[in-house]
Amino acid sequence: MAQKSCTPELLSGAELMKQGAEARLYRTRFLGKPTVVKQRFPKRYRHPVLDEKLTHRRTTQEVRSILRCRKAGISAPVVYFVDYASHCIFLEDIVSSSTVRDYIASCPDQDQDLDLLVQKVGRILARMHDEDVIHGDLTTSNMLLRLHPDGTKPRHEPDLVLIDFGLSYISALPEDKGVDLYVLEKAFLSTHPNTEALFQTLLHSYTAASNKSNAVIKKLDEVRLRGRKRSMVG
Amino acid sequence: MHLTQKLELFPDHSVTQILFKDVKNAAELRQSAVEGKINGALINPTMLVGPFQVLVAANKAVHLQKTGKMKTRSLYSEIIFNLSPNNNISEAFKRFGISDGDDSVMVVLVHNQDESQLLSDVTNKVNGRQVPVEDVSSLSDAAKIKKLYKVTPQEEVCGTLLDAVVCRMATKDVM
Repeated sequence: MAQKSCTPELLSGAELMKQGAEARLYRTRFLGKPTVVKQRFPKRYRHPVLDEKLTHRRTTQEVRSILRCRKAGISAPVVYFVDYASHCIFLEDIVSSSTVRDYIASCPDQDQDLDLLVQKVGRILARMHDEDVIHGDLTTSNMLLRLHPDGTKPRHEPDLVLIDFGLSYISALPEDKGVDLYVLEKAFLSTHPNTEALFQTLLHSYTAASNKSNAVIKKLDEVRLRGRKRSMVG
Repeated sequence: MHLTQKLELFPDHSVTQILFKDVKNAAELRQSAVEGKINGALINPTMLVGPFQVLVAANKAVHLQKTGKMKTRSLYSEIIFNLSPNNNISEAFKRFGISDGDDSVMVVLVHNQDESQLLSDVTNKVNGRQVPVEDVSSLSDAAKIKKLYKVTPQEEVCGTLLDAVVCRMATKDVM
């Protein structure tokens, strides 16, 4: 009696935006609104039972973290619909936006706007970590900057939206928050050469905005020495 | 005045919303809905922020019907249940369904291509004045909605009340 989900049929006619190792992103219209569909496809290299379990858990984890962030006042795409049968999440398409990565790349060095932007990033991450949400994949490509619908200049106060909570989880441990920042530092400095000062500005604003930043920054220093993975010796 | 939207996921299904004010026979309508004599969901419009909220509930109901995962007995009761932020079915009917004393009602129909027959059937049963569906926002009780869905003031900084409500409806099964 139970039939298969209809989502794959819709996606076959939709525009493929991006394909990663974990999921495919499609752009389509849903209930009349511009929508991004994130489909976690089956991984043939995993045992089917394990694959189903992991995929299901990541799908639910992603929508949980999005809602938790939104409740705390951190912008993240609205979830319109979740299809647990085909593991698809229907998300608000943030129209007229640029990734922070593209925005920084297009800005001349020493731009004042950049300082304002990374300060905002620091404040948002501080708030997210204070809610015990660990993003898990912080990069400047996973932050969107809403632009004026007409032009390319961002609004006065940078309007940031965090996306891709696919690897996120809930944890209060300074260790996990430290690793989260470490991942961002690695990604930031490798995508944007010669921006050590800019990243320091980001960390300063994180420290000032977070209630529990002392322990996190201490852990970050530790993580820098040993890398992301903990030593399992002894 | 009614609003019809095709469901992109189910191209042979459309959802039509019809809004009535000054309704005199709410008790009678509710009774026929309970007896299954009305082919539609009767919703209390004061709990609705906008037509999109109804579309999200209806789309999810059709999806769950197709995949055999409905929590309630019929497609129309499932629409009402999907509007609710929690998993209590009787509470959902109480808050989102119509009550005997109500003077406005939103009727939601799910149908194939041609809706004119269904539409006239419903308009004949409701003793009230049909108004544009977009007017539903003027009937909504924002304070009651915020309280029921537990929307915090800080959440409204990063999005509208409709965003907050839709997010909760879409994700309630895994919270």
